[in-house]
Amino acid sequence: MEYETDQGFSGEQEICPSRDVFQARIDKVRQEFETATAFKADRIYPLIAVVGEIGNNSFDHNLGKWRDIAGIYFDVDFENKTIVLADRGQGIFSSIKNVRPDIANDLEAIEIAFTEKISGRYPEKRGNGLKFVTKVAQNLGLEIILRSGDAMAKIENKILSFKNTDDNMKGVLAVIKY
Amino acid sequence: MTQIKLKQFGEMLISRPAGREAWLVAKAYSLPPKEKDEILVDFEGVLVLTPSWADEFLTKLKEKYIDVKYLNTSNASVRATLEVI
Repeated sequence: MEYETDQGFSGEQEICPSRDVFQARIDKVRQEFETATAFKADRIYPLIAVVGEIGNNSFDHNLGKWRDIAGIYFDVDFENKTIVLADRGQGIFSSIKNVRPDIANDLEAIEIAFTEKISGRYPEKRGNGLKFVTKVAQNLGLEIILRSGDAMAKIENKILSFKNTDDNMKGVLAVIKY
Repeated sequence: MTQIKLKQFGEMLISRPAGREAWLVAKAYSLPPKEKDEILVDFEGVLVLTPSWADEFLTKLKEKYIDVKYLNTSNASVRATLEVI
Protein backbone atom coordinates (compact mmCIF):
# COMPACT_ATOMS: atom_id res chain seq x y z
CA MET A 1 0.00 0.00 0.00
CA GLU A 2 1.44 3.34 -1.00
CA TYR A 3 0.41 6.80 0.03
CA GLU A 4 1.87 10.27 0.16
CA THR A 5 2.13 12.03 3.49
CA ASP A 6 3.04 15.46 2.18
CA GLN A 7 -0.10 16.15 0.18
CA GLY A 8 -2.13 17.39 3.12
CA PHE A 9 -5.87 17.71 3.08
CA SER A 10 -7.11 17.70 -0.49
CA GLY A 11 -10.21 19.80 0.02
CA GLU A 12 -12.26 21.41 2.74
CA GLN A 13 -15.37 19.59 1.53
CA GLU A 14 -13.90 16.33 2.81
CA ILE A 15 -13.50 17.60 6.37
CA CYS A 16 -16.17 16.70 8.91
CA PRO A 17 -15.93 19.43 11.54
CA SER A 18 -18.33 17.68 13.89
CA ARG A 19 -19.48 14.18 14.74
CA ASP A 20 -22.90 14.90 13.28
CA VAL A 21 -21.42 15.76 9.89
CA PHE A 22 -19.31 12.60 10.00
CA GLN A 23 -22.40 10.51 10.84
CA ALA A 24 -24.29 12.02 7.90
CA ARG A 25 -21.40 11.43 5.52
CA ILE A 26 -20.81 7.85 6.60
CA ASP A 27 -24.53 7.17 6.17
CA LYS A 28 -24.32 8.53 2.63
CA VAL A 29 -21.26 6.39 1.92
CA ARG A 30 -23.13 3.35 3.19
CA GLN A 31 -25.98 4.08 0.80
CA GLU A 32 -23.53 4.43 -2.09
CA PHE A 33 -22.07 1.03 -1.27
CA GLU A 34 -25.56 -0.47 -1.15
CA THR A 35 -26.37 0.69 -4.67
CA ALA A 36 -23.24 -0.93 -6.16
CA THR A 37 -23.84 -4.12 -8.12
CA ALA A 38 -21.09 -5.93 -6.22
CA PHE A 39 -22.60 -4.99 -2.84
CA LYS A 40 -22.12 -7.65 -0.18
CA ALA A 41 -23.71 -6.91 3.19
CA ASP A 42 -21.39 -9.25 5.08
CA ARG A 43 -18.41 -7.24 3.83
CA ILE A 44 -19.64 -3.67 3.63
CA TYR A 45 -21.42 -3.30 6.98
CA PRO A 46 -18.40 -4.42 9.04
CA LEU A 47 -16.23 -2.15 6.85
CA ILE A 48 -18.54 0.77 7.66
CA ALA A 49 -18.30 -0.16 11.34
CA VAL A 50 -14.49 0.00 11.13
CA VAL A 51 -14.66 3.43 9.50
CA GLY A 52 -17.16 4.58 12.12
CA GLU A 53 -14.99 3.32 14.95
CA ILE A 54 -11.83 5.03 13.69
CA GLY A 55 -13.61 8.27 12.82
CA ASN A 56 -15.43 8.51 16.11
CA ASN A 57 -12.19 7.78 18.00
CA SER A 58 -10.94 11.10 16.66
CA PHE A 59 -13.84 12.95 18.24
CA ASP A 60 -13.79 10.87 21.45
CA HIS A 61 -10.15 11.68 22.17
CA ASN A 62 -9.62 15.12 20.67
CA LEU A 63 -12.58 17.34 21.50
CA GLY A 64 -10.97 20.47 22.85
CA LYS A 65 -7.50 19.21 21.87
CA TRP A 66 -7.33 19.88 18.11
CA ARG A 67 -3.98 21.29 16.94
CA ASP A 68 -5.49 23.60 14.33
CA ILE A 69 -8.24 21.98 12.22
CA ALA A 70 -11.23 20.72 14.23
CA GLY A 71 -12.77 17.45 13.14
CA ILE A 72 -11.67 14.78 10.71
CA TYR A 73 -10.82 14.35 7.08
CA PHE A 74 -12.91 11.56 5.57
CA ASP A 75 -12.78 10.53 1.95
CA VAL A 76 -13.67 7.41 -0.02
CA ASP A 77 -12.12 6.57 -3.37
CA PHE A 78 -14.60 4.02 -4.74
CA GLU A 79 -12.56 3.43 -7.88
CA ASN A 80 -9.40 2.49 -6.01
CA LYS A 81 -11.32 1.00 -3.07
CA THR A 82 -9.52 3.18 -0.57
CA ILE A 83 -10.82 5.05 2.47
CA VAL A 84 -8.83 7.75 4.24
CA LEU A 85 -9.50 9.21 7.67
CA ALA A 86 -7.25 11.74 9.38
CA ASP A 87 -7.30 14.13 12.27
CA ARG A 88 -5.12 16.92 13.58
CA GLY A 89 -5.56 15.89 17.19
CA GLN A 90 -3.23 15.01 20.04
CA GLY A 91 -2.22 11.60 18.65
CA ILE A 92 -2.24 8.20 20.32
CA PHE A 93 0.88 8.64 22.50
CA SER A 94 -0.42 11.84 24.07
CA SER A 95 -3.86 10.29 24.48
CA ILE A 96 -2.82 7.29 26.53
CA LYS A 97 0.32 8.42 28.34
CA ASN A 98 -1.80 9.88 31.13
CA VAL A 99 -3.01 6.41 32.06
CA ARG A 100 0.22 4.63 31.16
CA PRO A 101 3.08 6.98 32.09
CA ASP A 102 5.54 4.13 31.50
CA ILE A 103 4.95 4.36 27.75
CA ALA A 104 8.00 6.02 26.25
CA ASN A 105 7.19 6.79 22.64
CA ASP A 106 4.75 6.66 19.72
CA LEU A 107 5.68 3.11 18.77
CA GLU A 108 4.97 1.68 22.22
CA ALA A 109 1.75 3.70 22.39
CA ILE A 110 0.36 2.49 19.07
CA GLU A 111 1.26 -1.13 19.83
CA ILE A 112 -0.47 -0.98 23.21
CA ALA A 113 -3.51 0.76 21.70
CA PHE A 114 -3.92 -2.12 19.25
CA THR A 115 -3.21 -4.99 21.59
CA GLU A 116 -4.36 -4.05 25.08
CA LYS A 117 -7.72 -2.98 26.44
CA ILE A 118 -6.69 0.53 27.38
CA SER A 119 -8.05 4.02 26.83
CA GLY A 120 -6.83 7.49 27.63
CA ARG A 121 -10.31 8.28 28.91
CA TYR A 122 -9.85 6.54 32.26
CA PRO A 123 -11.93 5.73 34.33
CA GLU A 124 -14.37 5.06 31.50
CA LYS A 125 -14.40 1.42 30.42
CA ARG A 126 -13.15 1.67 26.88
CA GLY A 127 -10.48 0.26 24.67
CA ASN A 128 -12.10 -2.28 22.39
CA GLY A 129 -12.13 -0.18 19.26
CA LEU A 130 -8.79 -0.95 17.66
CA LYS A 131 -9.05 -4.62 18.63
CA PHE A 132 -12.34 -4.64 16.74
CA VAL A 133 -10.69 -2.91 13.77
CA THR A 134 -7.95 -5.55 13.72
CA LYS A 135 -10.38 -8.44 14.00
CA VAL A 136 -12.62 -7.20 11.18
CA ALA A 137 -9.62 -6.40 8.97
CA GLN A 138 -8.29 -9.91 9.46
CA ASN A 139 -11.70 -11.48 8.83
CA LEU A 140 -12.36 -9.46 5.66
CA GLY A 141 -8.79 -9.28 4.40
CA LEU A 142 -8.69 -5.48 4.61
CA GLU A 143 -5.37 -3.66 4.44
CA ILE A 144 -5.09 -0.93 7.03
CA ILE A 145 -2.32 1.52 7.84
CA LEU A 146 -2.77 3.64 10.94
CA ARG A 147 -0.12 6.24 11.69
CA SER A 148 0.40 8.50 14.69
CA GLY A 149 3.56 10.42 15.53
CA ASP A 150 6.52 8.51 14.14
CA ALA A 151 4.85 5.12 14.49
CA MET A 152 2.72 3.01 12.22
CA ALA A 153 0.47 0.00 12.65
CA LYS A 154 -0.16 -2.09 9.58
CA ILE A 155 -2.59 -4.92 8.92
CA GLU A 156 -1.71 -6.70 5.73
CA ASN A 157 -2.41 -10.29 4.74
CA LYS A 158 -4.19 -10.60 8.11
CA ILE A 159 -0.94 -9.85 9.98
CA LEU A 160 -0.72 -6.93 12.42
CA SER A 161 2.70 -5.31 12.61
CA PHE A 162 4.24 -2.12 13.97
CA LYS A 163 7.21 0.00 12.98
CA ASN A 164 8.72 3.47 13.20
CA THR A 165 8.38 5.91 10.33
CA ASP A 166 10.80 8.53 9.03
CA ASP A 167 8.40 11.43 9.31
CA ASN A 168 6.06 12.58 12.07
CA MET A 169 2.27 12.40 11.67
CA LYS A 170 0.78 15.06 13.92
CA GLY A 171 -2.51 13.45 14.83
CA VAL A 172 -3.76 10.19 13.31
CA LEU A 173 -3.94 9.01 9.71
CA ALA A 174 -5.76 5.84 8.69
CA VAL A 175 -5.76 4.37 5.19
CA ILE A 176 -8.07 1.43 4.53
CA LYS A 177 -7.91 -0.67 1.36
CA TYR A 178 -11.00 -2.83 1.04
CA MET B 1 -40.12 -9.87 29.70
CA THR B 2 -39.18 -6.63 27.96
CA GLN B 3 -38.18 -6.48 24.31
CA ILE B 4 -35.97 -3.67 23.00
CA LYS B 5 -35.85 -3.19 19.23
CA LEU B 6 -32.52 -1.50 18.55
CA LYS B 7 -33.65 -0.32 15.14
CA GLN B 8 -35.75 2.18 17.05
CA PHE B 9 -32.44 3.96 17.72
CA GLY B 10 -31.30 3.83 14.09
CA GLU B 11 -29.88 1.53 11.44
CA MET B 12 -26.34 2.83 11.97
CA LEU B 13 -25.40 2.51 15.64
CA ILE B 14 -21.89 3.92 15.65
CA SER B 15 -20.90 6.63 18.12
CA ARG B 16 -20.56 6.63 21.90
CA PRO B 17 -22.70 9.71 22.45
CA ALA B 18 -25.50 8.11 20.42
CA GLY B 19 -25.21 4.90 22.43
CA ARG B 20 -25.20 6.80 25.69
CA GLU B 21 -28.30 8.77 24.67
CA ALA B 22 -30.07 5.56 23.62
CA TRP B 23 -29.27 4.00 27.00
CA LEU B 24 -30.62 6.98 28.92
CA VAL B 25 -33.82 7.09 26.86
CA ALA B 26 -34.34 3.33 27.17
CA LYS B 27 -33.83 3.53 30.94
CA ALA B 28 -36.37 6.31 31.20
CA TYR B 29 -39.11 4.94 28.97
CA SER B 30 -38.57 1.30 27.97
CA LEU B 31 -36.69 -0.73 30.54
CA PRO B 32 -38.26 -2.25 33.65
CA PRO B 33 -37.18 -1.20 37.13
CA LYS B 34 -36.46 -4.73 38.36
CA GLU B 35 -33.01 -6.16 37.71
CA LYS B 36 -34.32 -9.72 37.51
CA ASP B 37 -36.67 -9.05 34.58
CA GLU B 38 -35.80 -10.73 31.30
CA ILE B 39 -34.59 -8.34 28.57
CA LEU B 40 -34.70 -9.33 24.90
CA VAL B 41 -32.54 -7.17 22.63
CA ASP B 42 -33.65 -7.44 19.02
CA PHE B 43 -31.06 -6.47 16.37
CA GLU B 44 -33.41 -6.87 13.40
CA GLY B 45 -32.93 -3.99 10.95
CA VAL B 46 -29.63 -2.84 12.43
CA LEU B 47 -27.14 -2.50 9.57
CA VAL B 48 -24.02 -1.27 11.35
CA LEU B 49 -23.07 -1.68 15.01
CA THR B 50 -19.75 -0.65 16.55
CA PRO B 51 -18.17 -1.54 19.89
CA SER B 52 -18.34 2.13 20.91
CA TRP B 53 -22.13 2.30 20.62
CA ALA B 54 -22.52 -1.17 22.11
CA ASP B 55 -20.27 -0.32 25.07
CA GLU B 56 -22.55 2.54 26.00
CA PHE B 57 -25.79 0.56 25.64
CA LEU B 58 -25.34 -3.21 25.77
CA THR B 59 -22.55 -3.27 28.36
CA LYS B 60 -24.60 -1.08 30.69
CA LEU B 61 -27.68 -3.18 30.01
CA LYS B 62 -25.81 -6.35 30.98
CA GLU B 63 -24.43 -4.66 34.11
CA LYS B 64 -27.91 -3.70 35.27
CA TYR B 65 -29.96 -6.74 34.30
CA ILE B 66 -29.22 -10.37 35.07
CA ASP B 67 -31.07 -11.96 32.16
CA VAL B 68 -30.25 -10.31 28.81
CA LYS B 69 -30.80 -12.24 25.59
CA TYR B 70 -30.05 -11.26 21.98
CA LEU B 71 -32.28 -11.85 18.95
CA ASN B 72 -31.56 -11.60 15.21
CA THR B 73 -27.79 -11.22 15.40
CA SER B 74 -26.99 -12.44 11.89
CA ASN B 75 -25.70 -9.07 10.62
CA ALA B 76 -21.92 -9.31 10.23
CA SER B 77 -21.10 -6.07 12.05
CA VAL B 78 -23.42 -7.04 14.90
CA ARG B 79 -21.71 -10.41 15.21
CA ALA B 80 -18.24 -8.87 15.08
CA THR B 81 -19.11 -6.28 17.73
CA LEU B 82 -20.71 -8.79 20.09
CA GLU B 83 -17.53 -10.85 19.94
CA VAL B 84 -15.37 -8.02 21.32
CA ILE B 85 -17.49 -6.27 23.93
